[in-house]
Amino acid sequence: MLISKLTLKNWRNFKSIDIDLTERVFIVGANASGKSNLLDAIRFLKDIVKPGGGLQSSLTQRGGMSKVRCLSARKSPDIEIEVELSETPGDVCWRYAIGITQQSRGQRLPVLRFERVWKNGAPVITRPEQSDRDDDMRLTQTYLEQISANKDFRPVAQFLDSVRYLHLVPQLLRSSEQYKGAATPDDPYGRNFLEMIARTPEKTRRSRLKKIEGALKQAVPQMSGLVDMKDDAGVPHLEVLYEHWRPNAGRQREDQFSDGTLRLIGLFWSLLDGDSPLLLEEPELSLNAAIVRRLPNLFSQLLRRKSTQIFVTTHSWDLLSDKGIAAEEIVVLTPSSEGTKAQVGAQNEAIRTMLESGLSAADAALPLATPENLELFELTA
Amino acid sequence: MIQIHLAVEDELSEKILKRLLVDSGRSFHVSSVINRGGFGYIKSKIEGLNKSAKGFPFLVLTDLDQHVCPSALIQNWLSKPLNANLMFRVAVREVEAWILGDRENLSRFLGVSRDLIPIDPETLADPKRTLVQLASKARKADVRRRLVPKKNMTAIQGPEYNSCLSEFVGTAWNPLASALVCPSLAKCCQRIIEFTPTT
Repeated sequence: MLISKLTLKNWRNFKSIDIDLTERVFIVGANASGKSNLLDAIRFLKDIVKPGGGLQSSLTQRGGMSKVRCLSARKSPDIEIEVELSETPGDVCWRYAIGITQQSRGQRLPVLRFERVWKNGAPVITRPEQSDRDDDMRLTQTYLEQISANKDFRPVAQFLDSVRYLHLVPQLLRSSEQYKGAATPDDPYGRNFLEMIARTPEKTRRSRLKKIEGALKQAVPQMSGLVDMKDDAGVPHLEVLYEHWRPNAGRQREDQFSDGTLRLIGLFWSLLDGDSPLLLEEPELSLNAAIVRRLPNLFSQLLRRKSTQIFVTTHSWDLLSDKGIAAEEIVVLTPSSEGTKAQVGAQNEAIRTMLESGLSAADAALPLATPENLELFELTA
Repeated sequence: MIQIHLAVEDELSEKILKRLLVDSGRSFHVSSVINRGGFGYIKSKIEGLNKSAKGFPFLVLTDLDQHVCPSALIQNWLSKPLNANLMFRVAVREVEAWILGDRENLSRFLGVSRDLIPIDPETLADPKRTLVQLASKARKADVRRRLVPKKNMTAIQGPEYNSCLSEFVGTAWNPLASALVCPSLAKCCQRIIEFTPTT
């Protein structure tokens, strides 16, 4: 299943957007245009449905309604998020939509203005219902987050709960013990990445590490073996064999891996792990340009074997230089005083024409994500 | 061993040159590959490459595209005479013609009839388009998905075009067969075989 359409109203940078999505989605935009906020709308739905989640906690975690609501919003300050889910592209099966407003009196809690679910075009849930009108506290919770209430659209709940987000921070993985406090829910930054690998059943773990080793060898030629192990204290580690001038190759642990190696391992692991939508923030970071150029191809390879969806935010010319990236797969974000606009490349005549003429997304879409007046970009005030 | 630097337009051209260097039977070792996507970068740096070639051998491959002929392209790009250490080769009109030239292996790789593959690939105006159209008739679904854009998608090639054709070049392509119908490939092979670096 994949998210084939995303509609947002008053969500963070976005006053009103409505975009069609494919199995691969490349999101481009200038700094602070809202690339991560777009992914966050999907993560927000996941946070509502995941165990221990819920509407109230997902909003509190983001600093409350005022932080999430679009600054450009004037007249209708309610937040609306709608996703359309398709079994395969073009085969719509579910739609889930929520509108969130704030109580006008009392505790001013965020409450649902509506929650609607459709299956194959027919309504399954339409809230508020009579029971919601009788007891307005019911509207502080979605049906999505309640197992007792989401029976009729459980596949939607399971699908949203399965969404994964990765923005691996090598420093955090390398020295996780130095960062105190509770880990970020779902660990997108990789602090507990090694524990997660260690928890994976042995057969699966070995098979994945073997595949990763094969791909990694191409990128880091002097590397020859990737294994997981536990030290005397039971702490999980990754080890590789580095060949050098000494006859016996040296073993190195993850704290000695380069940023690029760690990010590649994280990326490969998440691509191999599961067949649910994967949200990737700037996968190009710390990687060699020649490797970055091959990422779209790698995503496509994976999508041929697994029916899933990959979202990528990027600033990378190299990543977008792959001419196999279609106009339908690109989302361009453009900030304006009325909030950030989001446009799929296929809706943009210039992008379509350029791609049809043999130019790449790097030539056609990236210039639209470049800020104007950069000649003034200096520190002499 | 002859250390050599390559400058190419894309991954596929790189793969082709590396294959030709190996097949030449001479001991070439590729020191580095310049690939910044498209001919524009090579064109902008060609004077510098020509100058550097005094010290290091270079092999440059670009597509003829809409130029009249290879020598017109070279004259247009370079203001000074070509250094003897710089092999400047031009594929007529695109390296895809060199792929189409090996009809036997290509028809097997794609799973299409050999008769559908043009016999004179260097006369094609847009060999890449021909190759993609051909691949859309491929019996092998995986090859089709890799080389051809999905239905209703705006792109000139499929999502794994480069890696799929690189795989063909690395495992199945016979450059000698292709050189029989692609004079620009024959010349390129000849130049590589005869190349003597000057110091």
